[in-house]
Amino acid sequence: MTTGVRAARAVRALRVLRIVRALLLAAGLAVIGYGLSGLLGDPYITDPSDVLVWAVGGLVIHDGLWVPLLCVLGAFVVRGPVLRGWLFVAAAVTAVGLPAVLRADEDHGNPSVLPLPYLRNWLLVLAATAGVALLVAFAGRWRRRDRAAGRRGPALGRRDRAVRRREPRGDRS
Amino acid sequence: MVPGRFDGRVETEPADSGTPAPRRRYDPPLPAPPAFLRRGPLREGTFTSPLHEPRTVVVVGRWLGAALLVCFLTGLTSHLLQDPPGWLAPHLPARPVNGYRVTQGLHVISGLAAIPLTGAKLWAVYPRLFEWPPARSVLHALERLGIALLVAAVLLELFTGLLNTLQWYPWPFPFRQTHFWLGWLATGGLLVHLAVKAPLIAAHWWRRAAPALAQRRAFLAATTAAVGAVTLVTAGQSVPWLRSLDLLAPRRPDIGPQGLPVNRTAAQAGTVTVPADWRLRVDGPQPYELTLAELGELPQHSVELPIACVEGWSASARWTGVRLTDLVRRAGAPPGSAVRVTSLEASGPYRVMEMPATYVDDPLSLLALRVNGEVLAADHGFPARVIAPNRPGVLQTKWVARVEVIA
Repeated sequence: MTTGVRAARAVRALRVLRIVRALLLAAGLAVIGYGLSGLLGDPYITDPSDVLVWAVGGLVIHDGLWVPLLCVLGAFVVRGPVLRGWLFVAAAVTAVGLPAVLRADEDHGNPSVLPLPYLRNWLLVLAATAGVALLVAFAGRWRRRDRAAGRRGPALGRRDRAVRRREPRGDRS
Repeated sequence: MVPGRFDGRVETEPADSGTPAPRRRYDPPLPAPPAFLRRGPLREGTFTSPLHEPRTVVVVGRWLGAALLVCFLTGLTSHLLQDPPGWLAPHLPARPVNGYRVTQGLHVISGLAAIPLTGAKLWAVYPRLFEWPPARSVLHALERLGIALLVAAVLLELFTGLLNTLQWYPWPFPFRQTHFWLGWLATGGLLVHLAVKAPLIAAHWWRRAAPALAQRRAFLAATTAAVGAVTLVTAGQSVPWLRSLDLLAPRRPDIGPQGLPVNRTAAQAGTVTVPADWRLRVDGPQPYELTLAELGELPQHSVELPIACVEGWSASARWTGVRLTDLVRRAGAPPGSAVRVTSLEASGPYRVMEMPATYVDDPLSLLALRVNGEVLAADHGFPARVIAPNRPGVLQTKWVARVEVIA
């Protein structure tokens, strides 16, 4: 391919990208405008400032409390990719399951809402995922031991070795 | 160390290098705040993880974007089926039979998957919250406001959606309307975000764009595991073959009166006892009334149809009763007639339901008297309820008192 063809192709790609961006921007602004006018004009939402308070509150709690907590834990307490991975899984399962655990007794007289033993199930899921994480950790340790012993085994592919060489070990938050 | 740049100004727009970009003219720069304000996390080098880089963010962002778009489109589908504008109502399709069940199952599955994905995405870009200067220019300030709108709308949308599946409403605003409009705000914010970041996304779309990082692979594997775990323990409320793993979902499709969940009980609706003189009234060109015994003597049909709820759960059952089209024809109304169905319940937003002709004429649409071979329990709408394909659960009116031909 000549450089001329390549340059023409790059120019075309940039033009396409520009058009896509303009369309996305116009569509996005229109959709925001529609949502905002709907939220402010909805007859059932008598006080839209309530929604604003909850939206800003969520932002402040997430960005001002939750993520800083994660960063501090990641930087000073929690080490190793497997433990981190399990904590991520546990946090996700908790975010989804904790409301059910907290509300397990409140079905408003409808026994088919929240019918399960949620506290037990939540602990069960945490234990099961911890078990999987332990297996992953042991598998990693055995693989490393194999490699240290023989420097041959099927431990790492070419790609992984390349990764190991290139990057520093520091993995803090 | 930062393996990539987030602002994407250098490596992504080669055409701009050399010639000054014309659009910068419309983007007045803002003065940087005094340097002594740059404290705490605003200082350089606060966040040391190598994962705060564009390739990781683009990979997680793709997953999250896909989940949010599926969630928005399936939510919109539910809204249009449940509350259609007048021009659309006559064209709503009664097929596919499982359309509502699948779209609303997906709505909740993608929404729950978006919870860990949002967590991963926002953690990865968290240092951007503390970029310095906070706003380089007017457009940059507007873009950051747009991000605040996007993140706030997504967080509140996921939170209200999750709690709604448990019928838990701790906030002062109405759920349905707020959730609907926030969905538009979140989607609009997402589209604007994609427009702004398009060059950066394009530059990091392919794997070769960034060096492989073992930490990135571990992070993406953990994200996948979190999404997988959340999905596995909740999707059983709509996906039959995952039912045995349904551990944390607010519903189990086989738990409830007659083995079926209920959204609104007879006690809540005030319809535990049906008046002794109950008759089904059908209004049309030739109105008539039928007792329950007379209804039972009309030709009975059995259909396998799901009852599916916007909260994500669904369950199939075998319903037996009279075809709606037979009832309407008996009142002298021609094919293509829509009906209004009124429930015995004294109040409630779904006491009166309108059903377009496409559903009325469908041979699967019944006024059901029995479920799975048994007479309907009070919670399932005794003496008679509507069941139709591809319909939101709240429109499968229970405790039916009257069917009225309206067009």
